[in-house]
Amino acid sequence: MTSTTPEELSAGGYASRRRMRPGDIVFQGVAFLAAAGVTVLLGLLAYKVVAQAWPAIRHFGVSFVWTNAWNPNNDVFGAASFIFGTVVTSFIALLIATPISIAIALFLTEIAPRRIAAPIATVVELLAAIPSVVLGLWGILVFGPWMNDHLEPGLKSAFGFLPILSGPTYQAGILPAALILTIMIVPIISALCRELFSRIPRDLTDGSLALGSTKWEAIRRVGLPYAAPGISAVMLLGLGRAFGEAIAVAQVIGGQVAISRSLFHPGDTLGARIALQYQGATTGLETNSLLYLGAILMVISLVTNVAAQGIVSRFEKARRLH
Amino acid sequence: MKRALALVALAGLLAVAAVAGRANASPARAAGVNISGAGSTFVFPLVSAWIPQLGSAYGYNVSYSPVGSGAGIAAVTARTVDFGASDAPLSPDQFTACNGCIQLPWALSATSIAYNLPGLNCVVRLTGDVLARIYLGQITTWDDGAIKALNGSCNLPSTKITPVYRSDNSGTSYNFTDFLSAVNPSWKSKIGVGVNAQWPTGVGAKGSSGVAGVVTKTPGAICYVDVAYALNNKLRTAWIKNASGKYASPGLRGIAAAAATLPAKITGNGAISIVNPPKGNPLAYPISTFTYVIVPIKSSKAADLRKLIYWAITAGQQSGPKLRFQPLPKQVQAFDFKQIKLITG
Repeated sequence: MTSTTPEELSAGGYASRRRMRPGDIVFQGVAFLAAAGVTVLLGLLAYKVVAQAWPAIRHFGVSFVWTNAWNPNNDVFGAASFIFGTVVTSFIALLIATPISIAIALFLTEIAPRRIAAPIATVVELLAAIPSVVLGLWGILVFGPWMNDHLEPGLKSAFGFLPILSGPTYQAGILPAALILTIMIVPIISALCRELFSRIPRDLTDGSLALGSTKWEAIRRVGLPYAAPGISAVMLLGLGRAFGEAIAVAQVIGGQVAISRSLFHPGDTLGARIALQYQGATTGLETNSLLYLGAILMVISLVTNVAAQGIVSRFEKARRLH
Repeated sequence: MKRALALVALAGLLAVAAVAGRANASPARAAGVNISGAGSTFVFPLVSAWIPQLGSAYGYNVSYSPVGSGAGIAAVTARTVDFGASDAPLSPDQFTACNGCIQLPWALSATSIAYNLPGLNCVVRLTGDVLARIYLGQITTWDDGAIKALNGSCNLPSTKITPVYRSDNSGTSYNFTDFLSAVNPSWKSKIGVGVNAQWPTGVGAKGSSGVAGVVTKTPGAICYVDVAYALNNKLRTAWIKNASGKYASPGLRGIAAAAATLPAKITGNGAISIVNPPKGNPLAYPISTFTYVIVPIKSSKAADLRKLIYWAITAGQQSGPKLRFQPLPKQVQAFDFKQIKLITG
């Protein structure tokens, strides 16, 4: 590290002091085009989705959001069960994935010797490289049947008094979908958490250890609070990934229009419904309604992202006050 | 580093050389017309049998992607393929979207009802009404009185019934819901006919393979799947009662008998339903279906498409029976001959 201050690195720092050279002009132009291009593309995409959904938005109005129906043969459509399925599967996935990912990241940065940490980190990241359709196939052939035969009956006999873990079990349903999503978001969350933990200043944890705390106490009292805003932002990134996943979920969720108390019951998500029923939709209104689902999914993702930024900035403010 | 790069480059060169060598080795065809199609998985075994024959008869280089009826309709609508194939006839909105497409029935087969009841050594017999009530969630166990009454000597277990359906848009679902609507008024009013439905109970899976996957792993499960698929995957299929009160198996005889109930002349846009054929055909299998080829009437390959379809509905039908496709009845062929003439450049 040299002694460059953040002010010098910030935008315009170099440019203002030096004469612009042709290379700089070209570079700035390319960078601007890339940034502007993505912004325009997103705008066009959102416009197109809403425009295509418009007939359904006009036909059903806002009540589409809380209508629990999807009958393509009578042209009655509503998003309630899909919003429910999307939110429930993604939050369960996040709930399970976060502690596992933090544990993996802590193990890799704090506990494991480098010789072991490097290959394990590679393996965890390889998990992210498995195409979702392959993961979905594994869900159909191996994971779903195993859940139906072993995990779900086990959960039922232990926690059957809870309504969410009662009722008949199926090979495909909300819970298998949530667990497949968990497998998909663990690599993302753990890789980013590892990055966060490796940036915890050594001085802080070493100081804590020097004052006589155990390794766990140093991590819990000093390391985790330091990384907390980052972790919450990373969690929301993982949540966004889970919201948007369509193919793997479509293969294991059982595609049913239902809001059930039981997590064993088949359901459906916004992404999965669009993926499976867009092609060959029989009426124009069905196509428009599927795009309405797409628009809702975009809004949910936008809200998640804004929330992520809000949380991070609040943490930052709180930390500065300390 | 440099050495590694050199090795990669060498490997690349070798690969290019190998491919080029292969391309040279294959015999050059005089009339190498490429014709592409996509759609129905149901008709895929039959089209696969046609492709080499079309190659040697006309020099056509036909490629077909079994992506499902819905995707096939989407592909021909977007004109990314020369023809689409679907087991469900086009809906009015789909006809509009496809902008000048016609549909021709070009193969005839059936949808079978497969089940997984390990250890049962008799064939399950069902009526359309019982099947509808199973899929409506009104009959939930295999030893329900309504099923027992149809299977006198069969010792049915008390296993829970898991109805399995297609979660993607499928022509097989169309055939199945068409049949259930014909035999059960409550199905007709509540659920209706279509390539998908709001299934009141059960579990959905993607594609025939997905459905078969769930059924083979779930004791007590029942599903509908095309006959060729059920046979190839050794699924046990039920006998279904027809309007004459006889139980029919989804074999060629049953399909032929169902098609024998067609009127003497086919009119309209080519959509034909032969589910639940009327009394007087004791052999008829009640969930039989035609499957369609969809072509734009304006095509740069019009002459070749005309030849291809003419061949498929005449000589091509001989490849059918081995694969559980019954050759087309005369009046359907006659309808297709008229339709073919509409395809112009």
